[in-house]
Amino acid sequence: MPKPSTTRRSFFGLSAGAAFLCTIGGQEVRLDDPDAARKADALAAQVKRPPGAAPQDELTFPTPEPQPGGRKREYWIQARTRGWDVAPSGRDDWHDRRIRGKRNFRALVYQLMKPGFAAPNGPPVIPGPTLYAEVGDTLVVHFRNAADTLGQALTMHPHGVRYTPDYDGVYLGEHTRVGGFVAPGEEFTYTWEATPDSVGVWPYHDHGPNHTLNTFRGAFGALIVRERGAKVPDVEQVLFLHALTPPVTGLPRAHQAINGRTAAGNTPTIQARVGQDVAIHVMGMDDEFHDFHIHGHRWKDPAGTFVDTPAVGPNETITARFVEDNPGRWLYHCHVFSHQDGGMAGWYMVSP
Amino acid sequence: MRFRTAAAAALATGLLVPAAAQAQTPEPSYPEPSNPGKVAPKPSGKGKTRTVCKQKRCAFRTIQAAVNKSKKGDTVRVKDGTYREAVRIDGAKKSYVKLVGNTRNPGKVVLEGRGGKQNGVFVNGADQVTVRGFKARNYSANGFFFVNVVGYTARDLIAEKTGVYGIYAFNSKGGTMRDSEAYYTSDAGFYIGQTPAQVRPIRSIVTNIESWGNPLGWSGTNMRYVTITDSRFYNNAVGLAPNALDSEKFPPAEDNIIRDNEIFWNNFNFHEGAPFKIPTEGTATLAPVGTGVLLLGGRRNVVEDNEIFGNYAVGVAAIEGILLQDNPQARALEGNIVRDNRFGLNGTDLNGRELGYDGNGAGNCFAGNTGVSVTIPADGSTLVPCPFTGANTFSAEAQGQMLLLAGKASVPAWIKHPHAPKAGYEPLELYTK
Repeated sequence: MPKPSTTRRSFFGLSAGAAFLCTIGGQEVRLDDPDAARKADALAAQVKRPPGAAPQDELTFPTPEPQPGGRKREYWIQARTRGWDVAPSGRDDWHDRRIRGKRNFRALVYQLMKPGFAAPNGPPVIPGPTLYAEVGDTLVVHFRNAADTLGQALTMHPHGVRYTPDYDGVYLGEHTRVGGFVAPGEEFTYTWEATPDSVGVWPYHDHGPNHTLNTFRGAFGALIVRERGAKVPDVEQVLFLHALTPPVTGLPRAHQAINGRTAAGNTPTIQARVGQDVAIHVMGMDDEFHDFHIHGHRWKDPAGTFVDTPAVGPNETITARFVEDNPGRWLYHCHVFSHQDGGMAGWYMVSP
Repeated sequence: MRFRTAAAAALATGLLVPAAAQAQTPEPSYPEPSNPGKVAPKPSGKGKTRTVCKQKRCAFRTIQAAVNKSKKGDTVRVKDGTYREAVRIDGAKKSYVKLVGNTRNPGKVVLEGRGGKQNGVFVNGADQVTVRGFKARNYSANGFFFVNVVGYTARDLIAEKTGVYGIYAFNSKGGTMRDSEAYYTSDAGFYIGQTPAQVRPIRSIVTNIESWGNPLGWSGTNMRYVTITDSRFYNNAVGLAPNALDSEKFPPAEDNIIRDNEIFWNNFNFHEGAPFKIPTEGTATLAPVGTGVLLLGGRRNVVEDNEIFGNYAVGVAAIEGILLQDNPQARALEGNIVRDNRFGLNGTDLNGRELGYDGNGAGNCFAGNTGVSVTIPADGSTLVPCPFTGANTFSAEAQGQMLLLAGKASVPAWIKHPHAPKAGYEPLELYTK
């Protein structure tokens, strides 16, 4: 693989925060190029299973049950690698131009499976399956590390819901609890509670020993918690804003992506009709801050102020919710200029 | 589903079974179970390939000779022919060895056990071994046997007329059985047993297997974390029987999923004649002839989305782990779910009874099953819908009714219906030469 030249990367690459540090097994790795990613993987593969809880970590916790009236919502999810095309159409519809150069890289994704991992129950895509719960429910997530070729421990770490340390899904060196180190081939069942303060839309992502690199590779998804019996929006779309940079992908340039794809026509095309209750949930999932703009639309932020380009940071969520009243072809995009020009944009199609 | 004296004594008095104190057949000798531990690290590189055939042109004339020379990750290719061997792949130094016959036509690479050979291929303590493309027949114990390993692949295999099991994994963590067939074994066609409990379990996946003409299509004594899917269990005495016994460690069976299988015509009354050595004692003799799925004790087992038809005794039966004497704490059925199964092939090939449950234990439930009309108990009072928490309501009468179906005593209690024709399959109730 030819090493990307500084000049080609200088704009897209560096603007996307291409030089970042991650710490694996106590060693800092500077991820400036694809070879560093390989070194990071090699280090991650050497991280040994933690010896067990230290004395101060010996609290034990029961597995929570649903509240009265709530139910267990069971999901079977595996992590696996796959080849991933960042722009299957090969085109940027917005600018009406070809996307040149290599577009495929090895992504790490969460995939919905049938019970017992008997068969796939959904495609292996970025982002992973959206998990749903109502207040009082428990999310019971059977997670399997099926990324054998990656050869490193993985996890699922949720935001927003309540969990005990066992179900945190985070690698903490020698303090790692049971759900924080799921080796290749293994599975672990997380139980998370949808409490009243869990209402909202949240990300989940890998938080194992190599979590930064693996999250950037695509190991993330969303979970949605609603009030019991709350109305489901007529149109609901989750959008993750994130960069796929050369150090992660090995591709010659950075791609500014939404849900793993770059440029309108490859990113999700959202469809709605006038009169529908529309909710678009937007999360940042890289090292950058973003904002989110929909042409032709305004909505209220949580403080009650009308907005059309609110900011959204890493693992933060903003929701654009409105009753559709403006038919036509609209563009949605991150309004950080280098991001929108790098492909962080898509179509919003409204029928009368 | 080996089963010996303690449970035999209990049953001889409690159940209508043939005299349990028949002459003992010699037990196959197995290595002591040891902790399978962590998976052996993967070897680097491709490894060497050694070829075995009966002709002079091959460097190896016996499979065992080639296996003996093999190191971690090496491959042994076996050409078509008949090999009168009992192959052993023993110890961690043989991890990741691949033993490959004819994957397209496994029947052309025959392992012949006649003359008292125990196992066709026996893998002990060697992790992630692959065995593909063989037919094993007439072994006194098992066709293909994996023990004390972390991970294995058994694929494109046929086991015929083996003395105990066809394809068998014991005291192991994880593994794959697929695209294989077992028939006319003396106990169970396929069997995963005594799986050590694990916090972050390695699942065993079983897919696209075919098991017929056995006392048990699938036995699962104290098995864990097994998914059985997209497979066919037919013309056995019992289709599948996850169960709990004292004779093996770690009772009961837990966290298994049986989904998306065809389980039909399991009415083979081998007691009246079979092309194999008919067992006269042991659990296989107690298998209630005419049963699709039997949960004999167990926790958190799920039976869902299966097509279950033409089993004359009962489609799915769940009963307390009554054979456990030394492990009373593991007797109760807990958290088992039977849901979304389709019974009776749209009314064209009915089961004698669809569901039976004695109401033992807690958190067991039944939901979304279609075509259910005849149950034990008759009023269906134990068959509570899902989700269900708390204690189930035990019915001594229902348990009594179910115990009366043990072994071939079920035959007079069959409720027979005509079968719908099924292309490529013939019902087998009584064996005639």
